[in-house]
Amino acid sequence: MATFTRSNAWNNGGTFTNTDLLWYAKGVGVMQGRKLDDLSSWWFFAAMHGEYIKESGFPGWGALPSPPSTPTTPHPSTSVWNKYWDQCQHQSWYFVPWHRGYLLALEAQVRAAVVSLGGPSTWALPYWDYFGPGTESQIPPAFTQTKLPDGSPNPLFVKARYGPKGDGHISVPMPPVNQKCMSNDLYTGTDHNTPPPGFGGPKTGFSHSGRQSGNLENNPHNLVHSFVGGNAPDGETYGLMSDPGLAALDPIFYLHHCNIDRMWAVWNSNGKSNPTDSAWLKGPAAHGQREFVMPLPTNKSWVYTPDQVDSLSKLDYTYDSLPKLAPAVNLLSQRLTHLGATAAAARVAGGAAVSQGENSELVGANEGALPIKGKGASTTVKLAPDVRRKVSASLTAASESAPPDRVFLHLENVRGTHDAAALSVYVNLPPGANPADHPELLAGTVGLFGLRRASRKEGEHAGDGLDFSLEVTPIIDALHMKHALDTDSLQVSVVPYQPIPDKAEVTVGRVSVYRLGR
Amino acid sequence: MVSDARELARVRNPVLLLSALAWILLLVEPGGMGVHAHFHAAGAGAMPLGASFRMLLAMNPPASLAAGWFVMLVAMMSPVLIPPIRHVRQRSFARRRARSVLLFVSAYGAVWMLAGCVVLAIELAVKRFAPQSYWPAAAVLLFVLLWQFSPVKQHCLNRCHAHTELAAFGAAADLEALRFGVTHGLWCAASCWALMLFPMLLPRGHFVAMVAAAFLIFAERLERPMSPAWRWRGLGSVKRILTARLIPADL
Repeated sequence: MATFTRSNAWNNGGTFTNTDLLWYAKGVGVMQGRKLDDLSSWWFFAAMHGEYIKESGFPGWGALPSPPSTPTTPHPSTSVWNKYWDQCQHQSWYFVPWHRGYLLALEAQVRAAVVSLGGPSTWALPYWDYFGPGTESQIPPAFTQTKLPDGSPNPLFVKARYGPKGDGHISVPMPPVNQKCMSNDLYTGTDHNTPPPGFGGPKTGFSHSGRQSGNLENNPHNLVHSFVGGNAPDGETYGLMSDPGLAALDPIFYLHHCNIDRMWAVWNSNGKSNPTDSAWLKGPAAHGQREFVMPLPTNKSWVYTPDQVDSLSKLDYTYDSLPKLAPAVNLLSQRLTHLGATAAAARVAGGAAVSQGENSELVGANEGALPIKGKGASTTVKLAPDVRRKVSASLTAASESAPPDRVFLHLENVRGTHDAAALSVYVNLPPGANPADHPELLAGTVGLFGLRRASRKEGEHAGDGLDFSLEVTPIIDALHMKHALDTDSLQVSVVPYQPIPDKAEVTVGRVSVYRLGR
Repeated sequence: MVSDARELARVRNPVLLLSALAWILLLVEPGGMGVHAHFHAAGAGAMPLGASFRMLLAMNPPASLAAGWFVMLVAMMSPVLIPPIRHVRQRSFARRRARSVLLFVSAYGAVWMLAGCVVLAIELAVKRFAPQSYWPAAAVLLFVLLWQFSPVKQHCLNRCHAHTELAAFGAAADLEALRFGVTHGLWCAASCWALMLFPMLLPRGHFVAMVAAAFLIFAERLERPMSPAWRWRGLGSVKRILTARLIPADL
């Protein structure tokens, strides 16, 4: 039996009658009373995830609305700064293990504060399961109160939390947020149930700001960040949760990540495996890069590797809910049926061995960068006839030994400064049509969490921006079955969830289509 | 494009083989490949300036200088081209990959060959006025140390990590592969020119110095981009490679 159990924040209606939330608020209050350079302060922990302490103007910490009243001094020594701060792992296969260690360290600090106030020594972080029933897609009410039950200010209340519509109503819209990643088979890689780069993310080194998110990171993680933060009423800035350099200032951050951590645990508890590659197990420090390191309440630091945090049983905590997932649907069998290869579909459903092509090849691309402003933009993706014919031929001849090509739409080098944006991408949306009326043409929705940092020329990713890969295989299959794939181009429309301010300068460097097959 | 590991091997293995062959050539043909003749001090002083340069050029014909510089480039710089070559291949149609890579590498090489004119001119001038002297190399070494610390060096390194979008079709694809090669070459030359110059000014020990410089150039590229600031860079990666901690998973 684990010592610590993390429970649903919506217990007792998500109010302060849920003592997990009440003690969390009190513990956060203690940490917020400490100085920026104190290794156990709220601000120090937020800066470990990411910071804009030296920047002037938004998103500089000195320009943020209050509460919380965010300090920008005193700075720790350069060595402490470089050792601990700006450490979060994104667009990487280290995304979940780094954040698990981060949660454990924050939880230990809050627990120490809770105990110092006379609270339970077994206190554990609650999680916000926005996929829960009823109103649980909304933020637990304890985070929206300005006062604690005793009348003192509520440390969980944050002014710069605007929500998906920018009106201060915080909820997670479903769709586009979903749990499809839970049906993935592979942590890193791709198969018929796992779009690239896999459930946990692409193989990288230390990646404070990377390029392509893993499937769990992309949806729900990034989208929840973008939606909870949301657009500010000024039409230019956004909420804390939308940007990795601000997000951990908002106490809801840790409950969101607790849920992401729980989803990883659920994925594992349903027989899905983590990487066995030593590069993952031993972390980036084994290859000479930065180590994962957290300060503990004992004034010691904890250096950890993914293999030390890859199961709950190693860490003496658990969740109150680790449900069994629905049996995986055989997507290839379904697809073969749809393509008319019914005999092959039956053999695949019966367990026939399936080969998978590994060749990724460019099929087409648009010309020039695509600016995304206001209500969106569209572009023409020209297809190379010879490669497009290759895709058609593979669909026509599909079988278990010659699986049909899978097709992906890429948004390459997405740059800008508006991390709160969420973009839905449609293929061949009729002119003037309401996108909501055409879910069958939706390639996917992406959140631009991390956009500003990925776009900085002197940042860790040299300003190359973010990349997104959306599987459009069902759309291509439908075109093929309607004999409409013999085309020179596809029309791609990018529709923001909320209008994007002009000053945000969001651009997609290139829109391209790739095939994955033999 | 095949899986990441296989695609990496497809680029990395031939590039490293090419680099190794160039190193072997530099080792077995030092006179003709990157190690150029010096005057003896006494002879240089006694001869008029024009005559002495003519003799220096006779001893080091331009074609031979260019060939030596080219081999040196292949040996020292080709390993750092693995990431941009992978980027060009990934963003190009399969039938255009070889062509786009060739355009990228040609443009990159052309920038470095032009940079070589300046570096070789400095080398010849030094050999004319201070033959067999270690002082010019020592002065450049001091500059290298300062350069390695500088924020400008970090800015150049950051730009070397930039892999931007490329057009897919027609002349635009060719032009953008060339453009990428030129910009990558310019930032690479700006970042590395002093490290390339130093070994060339040494009267002795140039091969060992070239190996050390190439190692440092490779190691500093393994470090991720960061904010420009005064700091030492590259040595940490050198140490880690030497202690067999290998290279990051995503090179």
